[in-house]
Amino acid sequence: MTLFKQVAIMLSIFLIIILTTVMILNFKSSNEAIQEGLYEDAKNTATSLSLSLGTAGGDISIMSTMINANFDSGNYLQISLVDVDEELLYERKIESKQADVPQWFLDAVKIEAPIASANVSAGWSQVGILNVQSDVAHAYTQLYTILISLLISFGVLIFIGLLILNLLLATILKPLKEVQRQAEAVIRNEFIIQDEIPYTKEFKDVVLGMNNMVSKVKAMFDKGNAELQRQKALEYIDAPTQLKNRKYLIDKLPEFLKIDASSKGGVNMMLALSGMKEANEILGHKQVDDLFRELANIFTTNSAAYPDAIVARLNGTEFAIFAPDCESEDGLTIATKIQDLTLKALTKAGLNTSVTYISIGIYEYNYRETISQLLSFSDNVLTQAKFSKTHIIEVDKSANPPEVMGKDAWKEIINSALNSNSFNFVSWTAVDTKQKQVVHNALSLTLQASDKLYYYGDFMAAANQAGLSNKIYKNIMNMMFTSPDKALKDLTCSLRLSYEYLDAIETYEELSKLFKAQAKKLPLRLIIELPDKFARKNEMELMRYKRLFEQYNIEIGIYEFIGESSNYQYLQDLRPVYIKAESSYFLTQTEQGLSALRLITDSVGITLIASGVMDLKTLEEIQKKDIYTIQGRATEMVDLT
Amino acid sequence: MKLIEILLLSLLFLNSLYAKEPYVDDELMSKITAKYKIFAKKRFYFLQKTLDSVQDASDKEKLEAVNNYFNNVRYVPDIKVYKKSDYWATPWEFLGKDKGDCEDYVISKYFALLYLGVNPKKLFFTYVKSTKFKAAHMVLTYFETPRSEPLVLDNYNLKIFPASKRKDLIPIYNFNGDSLYKAKAKGTGQKIKNQKTHKKWDELKLNMKRKKI
Repeated sequence: MTLFKQVAIMLSIFLIIILTTVMILNFKSSNEAIQEGLYEDAKNTATSLSLSLGTAGGDISIMSTMINANFDSGNYLQISLVDVDEELLYERKIESKQADVPQWFLDAVKIEAPIASANVSAGWSQVGILNVQSDVAHAYTQLYTILISLLISFGVLIFIGLLILNLLLATILKPLKEVQRQAEAVIRNEFIIQDEIPYTKEFKDVVLGMNNMVSKVKAMFDKGNAELQRQKALEYIDAPTQLKNRKYLIDKLPEFLKIDASSKGGVNMMLALSGMKEANEILGHKQVDDLFRELANIFTTNSAAYPDAIVARLNGTEFAIFAPDCESEDGLTIATKIQDLTLKALTKAGLNTSVTYISIGIYEYNYRETISQLLSFSDNVLTQAKFSKTHIIEVDKSANPPEVMGKDAWKEIINSALNSNSFNFVSWTAVDTKQKQVVHNALSLTLQASDKLYYYGDFMAAANQAGLSNKIYKNIMNMMFTSPDKALKDLTCSLRLSYEYLDAIETYEELSKLFKAQAKKLPLRLIIELPDKFARKNEMELMRYKRLFEQYNIEIGIYEFIGESSNYQYLQDLRPVYIKAESSYFLTQTEQGLSALRLITDSVGITLIASGVMDLKTLEEIQKKDIYTIQGRATEMVDLT
Repeated sequence: MKLIEILLLSLLFLNSLYAKEPYVDDELMSKITAKYKIFAKKRFYFLQKTLDSVQDASDKEKLEAVNNYFNNVRYVPDIKVYKKSDYWATPWEFLGKDKGDCEDYVISKYFALLYLGVNPKKLFFTYVKSTKFKAAHMVLTYFETPRSEPLVLDNYNLKIFPASKRKDLIPIYNFNGDSLYKAKAKGTGQKIKNQKTHKKWDELKLNMKRKKI
C-alpha cells in the first residue's frame, strides 16, 4: 500500500472519529438542552399555575378546572396537586403519545422529563404542592429532527473534510509522488531527472540523490552511445569515400540471405577499377582520393532507387552495390550508366580510359544463398567482366537449384493451413550458460499439411513470395492469444514478428483489438521480438507498439541486431529485455565496440543474446566475449541445473 | 481522687466531641474579619452568642431571638448595596455589611433557624404586598403545622405576629425551596442533574455553598 493511502486512511479515520465525537457530544448537549427546556417549561407552568391556584381560596373544583385548562392546552405528561399531608388532591395524566420517530430511536435515546414543583397557597394558608411534568413526545420529534440535521451536516462536513484532506495530502506528498515516479523509472531503466527540487528536506535529499544517480547512469549510456558510434564509424565506414566497408556488407547480408527475408533476391554488382596504380602516378594520391569520392558519389546516386541497397568499398579498387529487389535488367541499366559516368569522370581527371577503366560484374542472387556463395559467384562474374570486351558481364541466374515445389502448390498449402488453422508452435530454448538455465523459449512455426509437417524454413519463403506472410503472422497471433498451447503455460516465450507485418497499416489496430479482448487470459509471459531495423527506422510506430505492449505486460526483444545505428537512444527509449544478434556479429566485434555496446545495454538493463551458436567451439568463443546467453544448437550441449 | 480526675477529663473530651459546630466556622470568620473588619466579627460573635442562648429553647423562643437579632440590621435597598435591583445575599454578606433589603432578612433568619434545628418544612419565604408601603415585600413565615396559621417574621414590623394580625400584608406566594426539592425528587424517583427549584433560591444555594462573603 502506498504511503499516500496509509496516511490518507489514518487521517481520514482520525477526522471521522473527531467529527463523530463532536457529533455525539453535540447530540448529547442537544438532548440535555431539550430536557432542560422541558423542565423550564414545566417550571414556568408550575409557578404561574400555582399563583393562579392561590386565587381559588382552596376550592378544589376551581383548582381542578384550572389544572384541566392548563393540561389540555399544553403538552404535559402529568399535572398533580398534593396537599400539605402529601395526599393527592387532583391529578391529570396521559400516557405519552407515540412520537413520530422510528422505534430504534426511541430505544436508543432516553429522554426524561423532570418534574417541576411549586408551592400552592391560599392567602396565608398552604394548600399543597403542584407538580408538573412535560410530555416527551414532542421532545423526541424535536431531537430526531436535530439528529437528522446533525447527520446531514456532519456527512457534508466529513465529505468536505476528506476532500480537503485529500487535496492537502496530494499537495504535501506531491514531491513523494515525483520521487516514486523517478524510482519506478529507474527500475524501468529510464533516465528521469527531476527539475523541481522539493522543499521538504527529506524529499529534497532523496531527489538530489536520485538525480545524481540517474545523471551518472545517463552519462554512462551517453558515453557508451558515443563510443559505439565512434567504433561503428571505424568498423563499418571507409574513411576516404565515406561508403560502407566489406565488414558492414558481410554483417548486413544475413538479413537478406535468409528464409524469411522480405526480399527474395536482387543483384549484387561488383565494381573493380583497373589501372589505378598508373592513375596514382599521373595524378597523385590526393587527386585519386578525390576521384574515388566522386566515383563513390556516382555509385550511391545511381543505386538510390533501391532504399535497401548497400554501396560498399571492399578494398582499394573494388566496390559492391548490393541491391535487393533489383531485377537484372535494371541492374544492367544501372551498371551501364555507372560505367559511362565513371569513364567520363576518369577522362575529366585526365586519365586514359584504355589504361584506367571500370569493370562491373552483375550477379543476380536469391535469398537461399549463403554469404560465401554470393561473394564467390559475384567474384567470378567480376573476373569475367574484367576480361570481357565491354567490361560488363551479367549473370541472370544464381547457381542455386530451383524450388522443389511450385509457387502455386505452396500457395495452396499455405492458404489451406490458414483456413484450417494448421499452424503450430515449436520452441527452441535460449539458455543462460552461466546460470545454466533456460531464460526463454523462442517460438517458431510448423505447418501441418495433409500429408506432411513443414518447418518455418520450408514454407516461409514461399509465403513471402505469395504475399501471405502477414496473414500467417495474424493467424499465429490470434492462435497465441485465443487458444494458447497449454504446454506453454507459465513459461516465458518469445515470438518474432517480421518487419513487414509490423509495418503493415492494419497490424497495430488488429493487435490492439486482440490484446484488449484476450491479453488478460494469456497464460504465459510473452516477449515479442522486433527486428532491429524496425526499431531503428520507425520511431513513431515503435513507441506506439511499446505503449501497446506495455499496457498488456508484453515485453519486447530485439533481433537481427548489428549495431549499425548512428544513435542508440532508441534502445533507451524502447528498453527491450534483450538484444539478439548472430554469434558471428559478436565474434567479429572489436573489444572497444563490444565494451561500448555493453556500456549501453548494462546501463538500461538489456541482456545480449547470441543466436546461431551451433557448436561448443563457438560457444567458448562467445563466452570469451562475455556473452553468456545463447540460442542455437549449442544450447543442447549445456548441462542445465 | 484520680478516678474523679479521669471522669472529668473524659466528660470534657466527650463534650468537645459532641459540641455543636459554630454557625460561622473559624476559617470563614477570618475571611469575614479580613473583609469587613472587627465590627463585623463582633456582630457574628454576638449572633453566635444569641444562637447559643436559645439552642435548647422552643421554636417560638428561637424565632424571637433570631428575629430580634437580625431586625437590628439596617434596611438598605439592593441597588445601593449591590448595585443590582434585586439580589439575595448570603447571611455572611448581610451581617458582614450590616445592611440589606427584605429578602436578605428572610434568608438570614431562615438559615439561623435551620442552624437552631427548626424544621425547614415549617419555614416559608412568603411574597407579600405591603399595603402600608404599597410595595412588594418578603417575609419569613413559620407554620407550626401545615394547616396552622403562620407567624410572620418581618423587618418592617419588628415583632412577630400571627398572619391574621398583619392586615398590612397581603400574601401572594409561599415558597419553600427545601420542600420543592424533596417533592421534585419524589416525583422522578431519581437524582436530577443540575437540580433547580427556584432561580433565586438556586443562586443563593450556590453562593452559600461557595461561602460567598
